[in-house]
Formats: sequence, structure tokens, C-alpha cells
Amino acid sequence: MRTRTLRLEPVVFHTCNAIAMLALAVITLYPFLNTLAVSFNAGNDTLRGGIYLWPRVWTEQNYRAIFAGGTIFHAFWISVARTVLSTVLSLLLTSMLAYTVSRKEYVFRKPVTIIIVLTMYFNAGLIPYYFLIKDLHLLNHFLVYIVPGLISAFNMIVIRTYMQTLPEGLIESAKVDGAGDFRTYVSIILPLCQPVLATVALFVAVGQWNSWFDTFLFASSKQNLSTLQYELMKLLSSSMNSNSSAAVANGADPGAARNLVTPMSIRASVTIAASLPILVVYPFLQKYFVHGLQLGSVKE
Amino acid sequence: MASIEKAKPPKTAAAATATVPQPSVFKRMRGQKQLMLMSLPILAYVVLFAYYPIWGWTMAFQNYKPARDFAEQEWVGLKQFRFLFSDDAFLLVLRNTIAMSFINMVLGFVTAIVFAILLNEIKNKLYKRTIQTISYLPHFLSWIIVTGIVANSLSVDGGIVNVLLMKLGFINEPIMWLSEPHYFWGIVGASHVWKEVGWNAIIYLAAITSIDPSLYEAAEIDGANRYQKMLYVTLPGIKSIVIILLIMNIGWILEAGFEVQYLLGNGVVVDWSQTIDIFVLKYGLQIGNYSLATAAGIFKTVVSITLIFAANTIAKRFGEDRLL
Amino acid sequence: MGGSPSKKLWGSMSLVLALSLAIVGCSNNGNGGGNAANNGAASDPANANANKPANAANDGGAEQTSADLKPVTISAFIGTPNQAPTADNRIYKKIKDELGVTLDMEFLVGDLQQKLGVMIAGGDYPDLITADPKLVSSGAVIPLEDLIEQYAPNLKKNYAAYWNRMKDSSDGHIYWLPNYGAYTGEYHATAYSGPAFWIQKDILKEAGYPTPKTLDDFTKLIRDYAAKHPTIDGQPTIGFTTLAYDWRTFPLLNAPEHLTGHPNDGGVVVDNGVASVFADKDSAKTYYKALNGLYNDGLMDKEAFVQNYDQYLAKISTGRVLGMFDQHWNFQQGEDTLVSQGKIGQTYVGFPLVYDTSIKDYYLDRPVINLNNGFGISKDAKDPVRIIKFLDALMDEKYQKLLSWGEEGVDYMVGTDGKFYRTPEQRKQQEDPTWKLANRAEAFYGAAPKMEGSYSDGNATSAGTQPQEFFDSLKPQDKELLTAYGHKTWTDFFTPAPENPVYYPAWQVDLIDGSDASVANKQMSDASLKFLPKAIMSKTDQFDAVWNDYVNAYKKINVKAYEDRINEQLQWRIQNWAAQ
Repeated sequence: MRTRTLRLEPVVFHTCNAIAMLALAVITLYPFLNTLAVSFNAGNDTLRGGIYLWPRVWTEQNYRAIFAGGTIFHAFWISVARTVLSTVLSLLLTSMLAYTVSRKEYVFRKPVTIIIVLTMYFNAGLIPYYFLIKDLHLLNHFLVYIVPGLISAFNMIVIRTYMQTLPEGLIESAKVDGAGDFRTYVSIILPLCQPVLATVALFVAVGQWNSWFDTFLFASSKQNLSTLQYELMKLLSSSMNSNSSAAVANGADPGAARNLVTPMSIRASVTIAASLPILVVYPFLQKYFVHGLQLGSVKE
Repeated sequence: MASIEKAKPPKTAAAATATVPQPSVFKRMRGQKQLMLMSLPILAYVVLFAYYPIWGWTMAFQNYKPARDFAEQEWVGLKQFRFLFSDDAFLLVLRNTIAMSFINMVLGFVTAIVFAILLNEIKNKLYKRTIQTISYLPHFLSWIIVTGIVANSLSVDGGIVNVLLMKLGFINEPIMWLSEPHYFWGIVGASHVWKEVGWNAIIYLAAITSIDPSLYEAAEIDGANRYQKMLYVTLPGIKSIVIILLIMNIGWILEAGFEVQYLLGNGVVVDWSQTIDIFVLKYGLQIGNYSLATAAGIFKTVVSITLIFAANTIAKRFGEDRLL
Repeated sequence: MGGSPSKKLWGSMSLVLALSLAIVGCSNNGNGGGNAANNGAASDPANANANKPANAANDGGAEQTSADLKPVTISAFIGTPNQAPTADNRIYKKIKDELGVTLDMEFLVGDLQQKLGVMIAGGDYPDLITADPKLVSSGAVIPLEDLIEQYAPNLKKNYAAYWNRMKDSSDGHIYWLPNYGAYTGEYHATAYSGPAFWIQKDILKEAGYPTPKTLDDFTKLIRDYAAKHPTIDGQPTIGFTTLAYDWRTFPLLNAPEHLTGHPNDGGVVVDNGVASVFADKDSAKTYYKALNGLYNDGLMDKEAFVQNYDQYLAKISTGRVLGMFDQHWNFQQGEDTLVSQGKIGQTYVGFPLVYDTSIKDYYLDRPVINLNNGFGISKDAKDPVRIIKFLDALMDEKYQKLLSWGEEGVDYMVGTDGKFYRTPEQRKQQEDPTWKLANRAEAFYGAAPKMEGSYSDGNATSAGTQPQEFFDSLKPQDKELLTAYGHKTWTDFFTPAPENPVYYPAWQVDLIDGSDASVANKQMSDASLKFLPKAIMSKTDQFDAVWNDYVNAYKKINVKAYEDRINEQLQWRIQNWAAQ
């Protein structure tokens, strides 16, 4: 295309496209900027409404509340640990499983696929699940963050679908060279799957990072297992509690602790604090699925 | 067009091996020890964590009380299901759930795919990456924040949407968006798009990277213009993942969620806003009736599994990629 | 929706996950009416003689401290969301040093019912556990009456007047130590946080400080003021608003019971000991018809039924809402914002309106014991005696002061007259949540048994109820207004609370999870939230038709199951509680 003389159409297209994308970016950036502004605005002032992109009454109070208890740093590292470990393990196991069901000749391909896929569509319920975790002695143990969620059917299908688009000849030739399935998977398939692995890694990492419900159910009585999200949830719910509920209603110190921080402002600072660390990861993964691989170079 | 067809990822090789007469299952198993080792332990793990707890479904046929042993539970047969299906409100919430789920699905797919393809056309790498990073930010905001912003934007009391529409002369007086039942589904759909379009596009962007660049070159030689390339190279390149995701999503047709509807809904639009999950929340979980929640879960599972098998069969008949 | 990975294996839990987000706070106010009405005026006469020094009772505590001071850790689950105190918290440290007890507390995050359900299913409990009827029926907690009789003289004295009420209606044992409502000595009600019709102070001032007694008086004041002031601070005036969002539905639903002269019984009114639902009766219709009138005159907030809680507060804090019916604590944040902007004239005074002057208002009620709340001791507790002795030791006035006021000289001062007060700096400190995590034991104190009213030295049991602290917080405009009415405090606008009926309040009745009564309760509130806005926003001549639809919708609901459950419990209370 470059070789041709400059035509009007590409210019018009690229300009329109760039503008459309910019418009999209503006409307999707707004809620985040708004949250950021609210998080730096005094709680009682935010209540009046009308905070858009910039704080009106500047304060760091909403963030100070997050660090006040001193538990947040330990919880942060627990979150990092569970996220990294889960992502690595989950990626390995899920992609390995995906490889086997991508092999058309595999005798158990269909039953394995069906058994895994169906897990997306039912929910046994919380109570039997709790018993299982208890029987496995995972309660109040770090492994409860890692072990139960390693395989996701959704992610497996995504990886499998990607693997099926790879040129079959690659595998055939590896087999001819005498490579077994495991070696084919490790040395031929995995390197080619970088874009989809990066995508799935992002899904797993974000899911792990954002999860607090497992802490709530299975590890809530152990402070040293608390995660960042759980600590932030605690803060958020306690701010809602102190502002609205029976504590005030029952005449316990009506003058105390309203006003300075409100649930709305805490929610904003908590949201920013919770998502910033994971947002930082994104650009590192992004290069794999925005620009991709030059598949041509490995083609047969 | 013809050359593009030929250049598609060579499925033909696989198809060829499939037609060769197969040795017996046991013989093939012997050659697949590694495949079995790589998958069956993981399968056992999944069965343990996902299937074993299904004994909990017995709750749907009980009047479950958490403190009692299994043997002491009171068995009530199909009572919970009867409560579910006999309530006049249930048909209504079923309709709302399917409608909103369908709207979200269609809007979600179309916007994410279009966004991914258009973003792919951006040549400036920095611009492209910046736009993409920004677009997925709202995914990290909770629904309570997003619905708060939506409610404020739609307010008759200086909300940006009404202000804009009035300035542009489309309307003379502000519209009460959130108290008009017929707008509710659309507002929920638009909110979903706003929050998730960037996130949903990630998977398609990854798929686009797997398209062989030589296909574009071939198309160019054939004289295809930009739009033809999008239509005949990019789109077919991501077709398999689109179809697989579509089949999976059809299975989730009864999962319209409840948070956004709970947070945006109100008494005035309740006949259009309530979903199955809200119904179950109110009459099940909030009043400690776990049995009703379980019964609703079983109902949803039956519908889901029926639908995905149906969708899978249809995909098979049309020769498309299959989920199963 | 294509690639949402939340829908994977773990995603199965997403329903409950986000649900708990959405309804955080519900658990405290399950009955909609909230328990905000507890700030009664008078002291409890039953406790009049409890005013004498508590030395006699302290002997038991002193004995215990010398006998077994060996350090012990007591685990506790607290059913309200709180932040964990810092590791070096001053108050907890003092408790540890002096009583040998380390508290290992877990606080609620998410939904209480969910948490308890799982806890019960798993069968593991901490030593101290937050109250819930479920825990009794599942045998998770042990009876306390013998322990208290034997080891806890201070607790026994604190609860003496309520002993019968604390007995469980199913088996007659005492399982819980209520955390609020046990009054000792004189109780000074100054601020009012309960239900009322609220009106801006500016309106009263402009009209020459009238006292609206009926709904008509009230709406007339609003009409007149709105006509004169179509905008406030440049924005359109809102005559009247209400709220029906999430669990905060009482601003819309509870007004009729008060207008007919009944106290806050939640969803029922009780006449002659018999409870009946009022929401679909003519007594309610009169009120909503009046709102319909306001609506058609353009005085009712158009967005009232659509707005969320944040929007409601935002509107109030702009100062352009002339009036509403609500419980004070529910909109207090909005009012605080007005105060911080110096808009004192746009803050509110509450009036106890009735339909006509022949009806006596009953908004203000006396404190009621907070049954089915507070701590119980679980069956897993290794040393219940040590635990009850610990709680008893904390009931000593010395520790009560430590928990409520803090340390003398640090958190409060003692005047020459012996009265406690806080300096402005100390008061400011109390507003800093970060400081409080290191210097107060609020989380535990909130759930623990406590003295309320006043200590033996006459000081109020909390800074908020110390009269001088209250008067110091009044603004000049407030003083002017109170003087104009000849009142000293905000509660003086209300008829003093009569003695509570023995069965009061009906909203404390446990409807029993999953019963027909609790299903009916949900269905009724669904119907009200659906039809009442329609009725209020209808054209004047269509109001009756919509109202009829509403009444018909109620006919389809098993209202009787709900009423029967409440009446059964009220009768039980009359029989078992009257004895004391």
C-alpha cells in the first residue's frame, strides 16, 4: 500500500478511526478519573455532588485511612504471592490440558472436554464446597488461595481454540522427529501460544488479585493470611457501618467519626488502591497480544 | 477470495488424518500415554473440586437448615421448584433475564469485535497501546461506582445526558430515564458495554495476532481493499474463537447478573428490572432459604446444558468450530 | 460479554459475592424500620436504685483478677464490619496488662447471614460470637444464666431489669448479652435520631416559628415557602422528597403508623395488643394521597423514587430540600455537610406530625433492650468461666469509662464539678478514624455488654449524651431557634415517651428464616415499592384506581401468616415478660 500514491481514502479512514478510538478512550477514561478525583476529595464535600475530573476540597485522608491499620502491607504481599503462584501454575496446567484436548487423535478428547466445559454451568453451592475445603484441611491455609481454582474451563477452551488454529504440520514434523507429546507441547506449542497465554495470564491474575471471597469464607480468622482486597473490603464495609447503622442510632457517640471520610470517598480510594498494582502489570503483558508474534518466521 | 480460502490455517491436514481407518481404541491408548498423563490427573482434580460437591443439590429437595446433619434434614420433594414456578413474578423475571442477557450478549460481542478490529487498524503503536489500556480501565471499577456515575449522568437534575440532548435540541424537557420501564434494558446493556468493551476485546486482539500476515499480502495482491481485508481475512481469522465464545455465552443466557439491576432498578421499573438472581436473592438467600437458591441453580443448569448442546449441534451442522 | 473470565469455576460464587456488596448493612436493619428509635427521654425507673456506687459488685471482679491472671486469648467474631485495631492499641493493651486477656477479633466483611450459614455448616466457632437466632437453633451457643448468677455480679446487676426478656422464647435459656438498651441512672436525651417529619429551620424562622402539628400544617408551610422561594442558592426548590432505595425504604413506608399516633413498630401497628399491617389500609392512603397532591402541585421531588442513597444525600446537602419524612441518622451525613458549609438555616428540625390534633403523637419512645444482639459464648469456648469473668470485670465502672470515654487527662478532662468534658483538641481527635484505631476500643465496645445512662458519679456514659457536650455543639442559630420555641433540646419537640408496652417493639420479632411470614414480608414490601410510587405520581383523578390495584396486590399475599407470627410472639411476650 505504501508503494501506491497517497490516496484520500486511507487518510480519511485513519483520521476517523483515530478520532473514534479517542472518543471511546475519553468515555472509558472518565469513570476512572472521576473515581480518582473523588478519592482525593473531602468526604463530606463529595456528598454535595458535582465532582467530575478534579477534587474540589483536596485531602489525602481517604488514603490515610487505608494505611492506618498497618495490616495492609503484609496483605499486599500475600496478594502478590497468591497472584503470581496461581498465575504460573494455572497457566501451566490449563495449557497442558488444553493441548491434550486440542489433539484430534486423543481418545479421551471428547469426554475430557465435556467434563471440563460443564463445570462452567453448574454451581454445587457454598455449603458442600465449604465441607470439601474443610475435609482437605485447606481452611486457614495459604494453599486455599491456590489449589481450588487452578483450572478454569473458560481459559482452557480459549487456549485450546487458539492451539487449533496453529499449523498442524508443525506437530506432525515434531512427531516425525521423534518428539513425544510432552516435548511437543513444551518446545513447539507453548512458545507459539504466547499471545493467548498472555491473555489468559491476565485473566487469571486479575481474577486472583480481585478475589476476596475465598478469604472471607476460608481464611478470615487468620490475619496473616489476609489479602489486600479483603483488607480493603473490611475498610469499606466498616466505613459504611459507622456511617449508617445502629451504632449511631443507638446513641453511641453521635458526634464521633462521621463526616471526615464517607463510604463514597473510601470506596473511591479503595478502588484506586486495589486496581493500581494490577494495572501496572498490564503493559508488560500487552505487548504479546497487541503486536503478537511473527508467525511467518516459524512457518513450515 | 479463492486464494484466501486456500491460505486458511490448514485444517485439511487434520481432516485427512481423521478419515484414515482408525486402529482400535486400546491400541490408540497405548500410543497416547503421554497425553493421558498430561490430562487425566488434572481431570481428577476438576472432578474433585467441581463435581464432588454436587451432592449439595439434594438441598433443593429439602427444607435445608444449616445446623442439621444430612440425615436430619426435612425432605420436601419438589416444593422449592413449585414455589419458583408457581409465582406469577417468575415468568416476568425469566423474561427480563433472557432479554437483558440477550441484549448484553449481542451488544457485548458486536462492540468488542468491532473495537478489536478497528484498534488493529491503528498503525501508531503507542497510540494503539494507550487506547487499549484506557479502554479496559472501567473493568476494574465495581458496579456500585459505575451505576453511581450512570445514575448521575441520567438524572433529570442536571445529568449530562439530558443536558446534551437538550442543548442539541433533541428534547425539550429532561427525560426521566430510570423511571421509564422501556429504557431499562437498554440502559443496562449500554452500561455493560461501557464497563466491559475494552476487557472483552482483549481476547479478540490476541486472536488477531495469530492471523498469518501472508494472508493479508495475498489479499492485497488479489486487489482487496481495507474493508475487504477486514471482512475476508481478519474476521475469518477470529471466527473460531467468536463461535466458541458465542456457544459458551448461549449457555449463560439465564445469567444476566443482578448487581447492576439491583443498583439501577427501583420500584417504578421493577417489572422490567428484576432478574432470576434478584428473585432468588430476595426469596432465597436474604431469608436464609438456601434450598430455594439451590433449586433455582439446578433449573439454570438444566437450561444451560440443554442450550450448549443444542448450539454445539447447530455449529457442527454448519461445519463451524465446536465447543465440545 | 464475550470474554468475561469471572464466569469460570470460581465465578459460580459471583452471585453471593456481589450480593454481599450490594446489601452490606442490611443485617443490622433487617426489619426496615431500623432500630434508630432507641433514644428515649426518660431514665428507666426499674433501674433507679442501680444508681448507688457499684462497690459491692466489684468485689467479685477484684477476687477474680488476683485468682487467675494467667494470660489467655479469647477469640471473638463481631457481626458488624469494623476495622481491626492497631497491634499496639492503647486501650486493648491496658486490658491485656490489667486483666490478662488478649482479644483475637474477627470482623464481618460481606453478608452476615452468609457468614453464619457457613460457620454453622462447618461447626467451628470462636469463643465469643455475635448474636443471631440461627446460632441458638443450631446449638452453637451455651446457656449463660447459671454462669452469670455464679460468676458475674456486675452483669447480673446490669441486666436485672431485663432478665425475663433475655430468655429465649424457644427454651427459656439466656444466650445473649444485649449490647445496647440496658440503662442505669439518669439518661439525658438531647439529640434526636429517630423518625420525624423534618423541615428546614429557615422556613420556621420566616413563618415566625410556628409549630406544625398535622400533616396539613406541615404541607402548608412547605407550599408557602416554595411559592416564595422558587429557587434556593440558584437551583430549583424541592418541596418534599423521600427515599426507597435498597433496604432504606422506611422513609417511604413508615410515615402512616406515626401519623395515626403509633410508635415505631416496623411494618405493623399494634392496638390493644393486636398487631395488624397498615400499608394497604385507608390510614396509609390518606398520607399517600397527600403526597400525590404535592406531586401534582410540582412540590414533590420527581426523582424521589429513582434516586439512590448517594443522590438523596447530595440533594439534601445542597440545602434545597424543604422537608421529608425520615429517621434522623439516615440523612445525618447530608446535614453534616450543610453544617460544614455554614448553611445552618437549611438544616432540619423534626416534628411529630399526626393526622389530626385529637391524636397524640408517639414518635419518641423509651430505650428498649437490644434483644438478639451482643455476644454469646460458643460451645467451643474452652473456659467459659474465664470469659464471663472477663466480661464481668469490664462492667466495672472503671473499665466502662475506659471503653467509652478513654483515659482521664488523655481522652477527656474532669472539671472542678466532677463532670467529664473534652477539650476541642480531644473532640477533634475523636473524629479521626486513624487515631481511633490506635487509641480506642470501639469495635469490641460496640458489641460488648455496657452501661448506658449515667455512672454512679452522675456523668453520662458517653460523650454524646453528656448535656454540656451537647450544648457546646449548638450553633447560634440553633440556640436562637430553641429559645424561640422555649425548648432546651431537640427532643422537647416531641411528646415525652410513655412507658413502653410490654410487647414493644414489634419489629424485634424474628420472622424465622424461610417461613411463610418472612416470604410475605418480602412480598409486601415489593408490592409497596412498586405501587406507591405509581400512585403518588398518578394524575389526581387516577389515584384511587392505582390504589385499588395496590390493595388487590396485597390481597394475593399471605399477610395473615406475617401478622400471625407477630401476634403469636407479642402474646408470648405479654405472658412471659409481664411477670417481672
